[in-house]
Amino acid sequence: MRELAERALDTAAAGRAGYADCRVVARGEQTIVVKNGAVVRVASSEDEGLGVRVLVDGAWGFAAAGRLDGASIDAAVERALRIARASARVSGGRARLSPVQPVVAEYATPVEVDPFEVPLERKVDLLLRADAAMARVPQATVRESSLEFVRERRYFASSEGARIDQRFIESGGGFDATATSADEVQTRSFPNSFGRHQLCAGWEAIEAMDLDGNAERIAAEAAALLTADTCPEGVMTVILDGSQAALQVHESCGHPTELDRVLGAEAAYAGTSFLTPELLGAFRYGSDQVTITADATRATGLGTFGWDDEGVPAQRTVLVDHGIFSGYMSSRETAAEFGWESSGTMRADGWARIPLIRMTNVNLEAGDSSLEEMIAGTERGVYLETNRSWSIDDRRLNFQFGCQNGWLIEDGRRTRLVRNAIYSGITPEFWRSCDAVAGPDEWRMWGVVNCGKGEPGQSMHVGHGAAPCRFRDVRVEAA
Amino acid sequence: MALSSREECLQLAEAVLSRVPDGADAEILVEDLDASLTRFALNGIHQNVAESGLRLRLRLQRDGRAGVADLHGAAGEGAVDRLVAAAEEARRVAPRRDLAPLPPPAPDGTGHDAAWDDATAGCTPEQRADAVAVVARAAAAAGLEAFGTVSTTARQVAVLNTRGLRRHARTTVARVTAVVRGEDGSGYADRCAAGIDGVDVDALAAEVVDTAQRNQNARRVDPGTYEVVLAPYAVAEMLDHLAWVSFGALAKQEGRSFMRPGEKLMSDSVTIRDDAHDRAGLPFPFDYEGVAARPVTFVERGVCRDVVYDTPTAIADGVESTGHGLPQPNTAGPMPTHVAMEAGAQSRDELVAAVKRGIYVTRFWYVRTVHPLRTVITGMTREGTFLIEDGRVTTPVRDMRFTQGIVDALADVRGISRERALEVPDEGSATLSPWLHLGHFHFSS
Repeated sequence: MRELAERALDTAAAGRAGYADCRVVARGEQTIVVKNGAVVRVASSEDEGLGVRVLVDGAWGFAAAGRLDGASIDAAVERALRIARASARVSGGRARLSPVQPVVAEYATPVEVDPFEVPLERKVDLLLRADAAMARVPQATVRESSLEFVRERRYFASSEGARIDQRFIESGGGFDATATSADEVQTRSFPNSFGRHQLCAGWEAIEAMDLDGNAERIAAEAAALLTADTCPEGVMTVILDGSQAALQVHESCGHPTELDRVLGAEAAYAGTSFLTPELLGAFRYGSDQVTITADATRATGLGTFGWDDEGVPAQRTVLVDHGIFSGYMSSRETAAEFGWESSGTMRADGWARIPLIRMTNVNLEAGDSSLEEMIAGTERGVYLETNRSWSIDDRRLNFQFGCQNGWLIEDGRRTRLVRNAIYSGITPEFWRSCDAVAGPDEWRMWGVVNCGKGEPGQSMHVGHGAAPCRFRDVRVEAA
Repeated sequence: MALSSREECLQLAEAVLSRVPDGADAEILVEDLDASLTRFALNGIHQNVAESGLRLRLRLQRDGRAGVADLHGAAGEGAVDRLVAAAEEARRVAPRRDLAPLPPPAPDGTGHDAAWDDATAGCTPEQRADAVAVVARAAAAAGLEAFGTVSTTARQVAVLNTRGLRRHARTTVARVTAVVRGEDGSGYADRCAAGIDGVDVDALAAEVVDTAQRNQNARRVDPGTYEVVLAPYAVAEMLDHLAWVSFGALAKQEGRSFMRPGEKLMSDSVTIRDDAHDRAGLPFPFDYEGVAARPVTFVERGVCRDVVYDTPTAIADGVESTGHGLPQPNTAGPMPTHVAMEAGAQSRDELVAAVKRGIYVTRFWYVRTVHPLRTVITGMTREGTFLIEDGRVTTPVRDMRFTQGIVDALADVRGISRERALEVPDEGSATLSPWLHLGHFHFSS
């Protein structure tokens, strides 16, 4: 990898790039999928290539090549240089980069058990056992479970002298149980929706999920939802479980604190942000209970690394400090607009894409309450588990989420299951109504593996530490 | 950079098949991509990228066991051998089950050019920058700021299997998208076509600037149920959701789809079909199993008809695949990729003229399925929402959230335009959508 990157940087220098960086990425994945008792997919993938980014007279160019011979690398660099010169024809201003100390360094995800050393047969057996447990619930007619393991080596080199070699391991797994009747479809997922829960960790993360131990219970919940009452509508107290709190943080705090959105770089697609710079340090985003951080140093998160894809070290940035909007996720270019240093959040989806500002691990920090206390302190409300649908406007204000499971709370007690619950609100009004966050015992790191951004589209794996939390006076409806 | 030649692409696929262990059934899918995208913000280019690379996907089947391996990019020396070995290793550990057979050879031969344009495949970064300049100049002249993309993609796909099937096709698409913003409001427009010369950038610039200029200082209207006229950008979102959630055979087999053949659930004027050969779309002749794509009618004059099939779902229902398979094996089932709503007889202005009081929607944003069986979706309006008063588009209104059943909305169609627009929701997909006048549509906030 080192030789490939050096060749790319030499070619870029010969082409008069004012700055260049190169990433050589080799990624391997292993996937096992079981559906309705059959192993429908046992697959492995290899993905290797090089992406080179150049600045010529303050204009950007990028090209990626999936062939790694010398001629192909030279051609990719020449393409990036030509693209950069073409960019200058319609310049939006000269790009500047905030300073960073270039380092020669290495990083590796700490794992207890390398998941690629675990026999495939053992992985298949785990999913078959989970499927069999779900199958004990006859109404669970569609059952799907999966495991995914990722290993990635990412070598970064810049014309400023950085040479960073990083190796990552991810382990993920989960299942869905779907129950159907003539007029209803209900799905329950475990541990998270949209296929799986994933961490930067080894096989130990899969064992900790206890997939087969939870399968029958979750399938039974899907069946019970078929005949459960529809969620009552009205303004009431809402308690979110940790996984839904994680997605709420993702959509309503993570994305609007991406500084490229604030500066308009995503205006044509993902949108902008209501958290404009003049609000920094003064705007009441949430209640005193709400502290949210972007922390790339937190163990096991999918956004945990040594250095980002611009060679900036992993950091912890406070985005919301006891309710006050207090920080952004930034890049070298966006930070330079304000005379800041980058907060180290530039990440690329593989070798064929440029780095963009992406969430690392955006965490709702633990409070001092508990789920039990929150329920006991609620006269009328609903406890919502596991995301089913999510939508938010292009400034990240007007949101609506649907959840798979709803538990009615009456007079401080969890009483009965309700279905098709959705809740909606306006971001700062919602977070200002947060009056309790559960403590460290109920706080855990969640993984989101489908965060989309950018054109061409990039899908990023990001982490969210969160705990159950309570919100007052929330609008609740039924789908 | 350019795509490899057709011969190189097929030779690579043959080389993979030649390494497959004796007695195994095998399918090799080769996708070769060369794509460029120029992105602009605040009237200037800020991101400008290109990529090229091969993706190979090998499926091996023998003795009731199946394994799959993927390769993207170079993956170093001996990559093809490792691809075969990885698929065989996966196959070896997979428990036995009933496997769908690989499709037989295509009666109509190997080569099939789809929507292909040499000029698009060879489009330069300078040409893309010049297209950006057209939009940026138009916006700047109006005192506005432009954001968007100009992209050109060339792609070839080959599917070969050990039963003798040989398929190859190549395709191009050019697309320009633009958001233009003023002090307090914005507009949106896009254009796409198989060829860059088919994209009228001047018309796009005029449209997006006009929408942005009219959509300033929007006022709030109360949420509730309104008559609406939806532009094709918004209609395409609804059709894409129906395609994803309801028009595939697996969704129907698993009880997740509203489709009940023979039942009339929509207005008489609604006909929706998939036709991968329609020259008005982006034709592509076969699916990821190499099966020829056949036209399928989902809804005919409001009556539910058929769904699309791949090989496994076709076997389950005792029918033939319609050629809408995704790479196998998968758990998503078959998907329509060339959805079109049949055109009506009216102009856009005639649709608006029929509305006493309602909402005109340019575009939806962040649309998600809330309830699949009832086809309830939610999302926001964006970049051009207006009040319709006495048959005219008048005041801009603040963006609103909608929560609405698609089938329910399409049961109250008051008019469909004769003009349609092409949208590209995903790589390899195309959606043809008209303007639509709906009798009711629920805005929830």
